[in-house]
Amino acid sequence: MTAHAGQSGIANLEGHTEFDITWPWVKGRLHPGTTAVLRVKDEAPSLPFVLPPLLRACDFVLLVDNGSTDGTPEVAAETAELAGLAHKLTLAAYPFPVARAGAEHRSVHELSVHSLSYFYNWCFSQVTTRYSWKWDGDMVLTAEGEVSIADLGWQVGDVQSIIRVPRHGLYLDGDAHGYLDLGLRNAEEWGFPIGPDFVYTKAFEWEIRTTPERCRSVGLPHGLCVELKYLDGDEFAHWTDPSSFATSWRNKRKRREWEVFNALKAPREGRVVLPGVHEIHAPEGVHIVDHVTRTWLPRAPRPLQVG
Amino acid sequence: MSDPADPADRAPEDYPRRVLFVAGAGRSGTSTMAGLMQIMGLHVPQPEVVADESNPKGFGEPRWVVDHHDRLLKESVVQVSDARPGAWFEAGRIAAREPERIATAAWLDGHFDVNRELVVKDPRLSWFLSLWRVAAIRCGATPVFVTMLRPPAEVVGSKQKYYTNRLGSAHLAASWLNMMLHTERATRESVGGALDGGARVFVRYADLLDDWTRVTMAVGERLDLQHVMHAKSEQIRDGHRFVDPSLRRMTQSLADLELPPRLHALTEETWAELNKLAEPHGDTAEVHATLDQIREAYVDLYAESEAISRSSVVAAEQQTKRGSKGVPPTPAGPAPASGADRIPHGVRAAIPPGLRRGLRRVAGRSRVSTSSTDERK
Repeated sequence: MTAHAGQSGIANLEGHTEFDITWPWVKGRLHPGTTAVLRVKDEAPSLPFVLPPLLRACDFVLLVDNGSTDGTPEVAAETAELAGLAHKLTLAAYPFPVARAGAEHRSVHELSVHSLSYFYNWCFSQVTTRYSWKWDGDMVLTAEGEVSIADLGWQVGDVQSIIRVPRHGLYLDGDAHGYLDLGLRNAEEWGFPIGPDFVYTKAFEWEIRTTPERCRSVGLPHGLCVELKYLDGDEFAHWTDPSSFATSWRNKRKRREWEVFNALKAPREGRVVLPGVHEIHAPEGVHIVDHVTRTWLPRAPRPLQVG
Repeated sequence: MSDPADPADRAPEDYPRRVLFVAGAGRSGTSTMAGLMQIMGLHVPQPEVVADESNPKGFGEPRWVVDHHDRLLKESVVQVSDARPGAWFEAGRIAAREPERIATAAWLDGHFDVNRELVVKDPRLSWFLSLWRVAAIRCGATPVFVTMLRPPAEVVGSKQKYYTNRLGSAHLAASWLNMMLHTERATRESVGGALDGGARVFVRYADLLDDWTRVTMAVGERLDLQHVMHAKSEQIRDGHRFVDPSLRRMTQSLADLELPPRLHALTEETWAELNKLAEPHGDTAEVHATLDQIREAYVDLYAESEAISRSSVVAAEQQTKRGSKGVPPTPAGPAPASGADRIPHGVRAAIPPGLRRGLRRVAGRSRVSTSSTDERK
């Protein structure tokens, strides 16, 4: 557990007592099942793709909005309603600006309401189930990913195990055309038990979740999740600046994204499709995200050629 | 002239790919269900496990599936009748491995060349439903599930008779609970709005034996099995020849098992709730919620029992370690004689000292001498 964490929770430095953290296991007995926790800011375009499979795969989804100006909470509510799964969605708001990854994050104390780790701890302290998924507002499960997450979610029970899930960048060039990056092998720890051994603390560029020594860890295969990137958007706004991910081994995924994004962002005639990147066209009437997650990736030959 | 869009006109080679998984505890009528589906025209991938005295009408089990599951269970250190709630994660962990997903999907895919509707059944199947669901998705097939229900007292009695199981009724009842509560959970994703388009049904074995035509057609309709929907007269006659109401030979009650009271109560409640799922429109959120509560109560009961019986586990571990080292469990005594010690002293003394030292070195037994002179060397 982080050195700053108390037995029953954490009080923030700024004295916003209404946002002090009480650990969920102190509040009462945790329920069996899983909760996906999304911390989002301006993810309205992605949520109609992200939420339906996630709501089907998990017992609960907690979406914490952090100052969106594009109607993110309303889109989330509408999407869940349309999927007939509104009863699984909980909306919450965290009003404080949170430090961007990199240098800005490093300069903020982890007990500040502006710290990434404090923000994460506050979000996960709202969870009432025994297992949790850390999720982003632009990560879309494939058909196989959905059933894999759903099954492991109940199978894990009380087993204290982390689950790692690979993801692949899907760069969107409109509704019917995109680029899937299979050029990098990358799997991050997304599934964690809820308990005192698994809380957030500070790492160099971002937050990190603590684990007990010799903690079990299970990895899922490639091809189960894509991360949406909009070629007409600013995909790096949550980073202090590009120099923040310029050097360390830890940031190789971000450097790859920067490289692929800038190669594809050029006007179509000058675009460079890097090795490992697949250009994909959706059939008429099918959105590129649906095509990739429901058909292209699930039916791609295995083992998936990644990296 | 019939309407060309009439589904009855569709050729079997044009049916959508669909795979029926017959799940549930062993000795619950799974063989009867799989056999009936085979008669209706679904394909049991060959070769099959051959019939024996415990199942004279045949098992309807693909040999490859049985062997595959056996290997996966060994790798995950899970038994077929495993009462541990934690065993589901151990099996799920193995099912998440890419090589297993590739092997399972490749095997399944090949059989769609024979028939667009397959049936896969094995008493070990419930442990790996997640693996098969992934395999179906990779093959562009829709996974559908039928879970057979039989009173737990009859399942336990049948297992004790046919499998000469000496583990006792409490263990068998606990493993039935673990299997059924989690099989229900594993197939719940296929209720309404599933991305894979799947569906599930629960069938009481007694209903199947009582009137298999009613039950089988209902299963076909619910799961959209084209072969069942369009079965021919001779297939229906074969069905009547196949189903033998006397198959249900066990008729004992739960009370006969003399289970510990909490286990008895949970078994009874589970059976009552599972029965609701077999009713028309009975697969409801209310029943799921009740089954969730029962499952949690069973997990608690198992954890308590495990904690209480920790001494037995420690003792068993120690016995296993002792056995694996080849140390006989006998009281301490004189150390066994070495090969050299079995040679008469007079013969040993006749060997020149230099040669004796060389032989000791070869044997890796350099002597620890008490002689101070030797120490200085």
